[in-house]
Amino acid sequence: MADYEKLRPEITPLHEPFWDSVKRHQVELQRCDSCGAFRFIPTELCRCGSAASTWTPIAGTGEVYTYTVVHRAPTPAYQAEAPYVIAHVTVDEGPRMISVVVGCDPTDVHIGMPVTLVYEDVAPDLTLYKFTPAG
Amino acid sequence: MTKQGDLSDRLQADVYWEVVKEALDDAGLSLSDVDGLIGSAPEGLGIRASLPGGAFTDFTGNPLRFHATTNIGASAQSAGMGLAAMAIAHGLASVVVIPTVAAGQAPGYAGADRNDAVARMAQLGSPYEYLWGTTRVADYAVVARRHMHEYGTTEEQLAEIAVAQRLGATLNPLSVNGRRGEITIEDVMTSRPIAEPLKLLDCCLVNQGAGCVVMTRASDVRAQGKHVPVVMLGWGEGHGYLDPCKAPSLAGFEGGRVAADAAFGMAGVTRDDIDVAGISDHFTINVLVELEDAGFCAKGEGGAFVENQATRIGGRLPVNTDGGFLSNSHAGSCGLFTTIELVRQLRHDAGPRQVEGAQLGYAHGVGGVSQVQYGAVYGRA
Repeated sequence: MADYEKLRPEITPLHEPFWDSVKRHQVELQRCDSCGAFRFIPTELCRCGSAASTWTPIAGTGEVYTYTVVHRAPTPAYQAEAPYVIAHVTVDEGPRMISVVVGCDPTDVHIGMPVTLVYEDVAPDLTLYKFTPAG
Repeated sequence: MTKQGDLSDRLQADVYWEVVKEALDDAGLSLSDVDGLIGSAPEGLGIRASLPGGAFTDFTGNPLRFHATTNIGASAQSAGMGLAAMAIAHGLASVVVIPTVAAGQAPGYAGADRNDAVARMAQLGSPYEYLWGTTRVADYAVVARRHMHEYGTTEEQLAEIAVAQRLGATLNPLSVNGRRGEITIEDVMTSRPIAEPLKLLDCCLVNQGAGCVVMTRASDVRAQGKHVPVVMLGWGEGHGYLDPCKAPSLAGFEGGRVAADAAFGMAGVTRDDIDVAGISDHFTINVLVELEDAGFCAKGEGGAFVENQATRIGGRLPVNTDGGFLSNSHAGSCGLFTTIELVRQLRHDAGPRQVEGAQLGYAHGVGGVSQVQYGAVYGRA
């Protein structure tokens, strides 16, 4: 596995359970113990005001809310993969998550497209979650 | 303000004092009159950066009575004008200078190295965004894509915004892109894709430059007669959702509506009364979305609004007549240039790009990816 030259996440204690779940290839999001709402990105409070939550697995399916095809990347490591698709995906549990869409031609991506989560172990200590067309 | 463009061969501090003194002179005031500062002191060693008020006083000898910094991103300095107005109204300061200076060998956004600037700006979001190789262009491209999906907005409509502003830039000798001449919708459409649907000519400049605004009571402007003072009539801020995953919609920004409603409410004028506007335009989509969110047209009708050339000089609502961030300057806290152009227009001092008889102007600025915004209504005194 080559050195990972792209940007890495900043994993503070609040964010650790999420990234641990990614590493297990089963994303878990916080679910509010009070109102039941899932939330992402990890935060200390639900919008209902409750601080209590339980890390809960999600199905890993959703649909594209919006997207862009990036041609001009921020650094050479990303530029090597351009053009690539970044999508905001509404997962079935409610929240939106951002990631790249892999496994299809960028021109195939459209708003409303069903996608599923896939995982990629990019470094010994880092696994990423990505989206790919469903089915 | 300076000519906008590469100022990397000059000391930032020299440029700083040049624009501060120029702006004071323009108002008939001098450095010794200054008792308030918004934002940074000139670059210097050690603690100077973190205690700008004292650093400024080192050069004037008169202790400042007021210093403040706002956090509205590229609009920080223009948004600081709201604080300056409050300080002046309450007697906490009488003459406040509000400079922005991107010059010299600064790294990143304020520097002249485009690759470094793009890389650094890409990391302004959270890791849950920049991990994937987002850029500032990509952050707004997803807004454009969603807006097109919900409202049928077209890439040609976005292109018209760039065309309109380039026209203004060609009439602005201080602008970066004016010398490149006029562009057509076809030019924008065929420019290379950066983050689809945004193309090169949908994007703002990356450049250096400097400018300064002075605020005081209109009655204290000693250069009356030389210039008609321009008065702040209304002010508002709106701080919306920061995390794009948590924003209810990416086709608009609630902060814009909140800011504009407050500003128009305070000024007691309507959108229809506005003769000329300055709308943050990091990308063409910004102008369209902000015109909607600030209430100049209904949500979703921004495309139709700009399509009939409403934002050109001579149109229904001329916008960013100096060329804006797209074609004039995107240097430092560039929202300040938006305000400077409105001042020129309301003084009837804009030369060949003058909006005839302009009496009321509206400034709308954003920070981040439009999460935080301000609105201000200005009038010819």
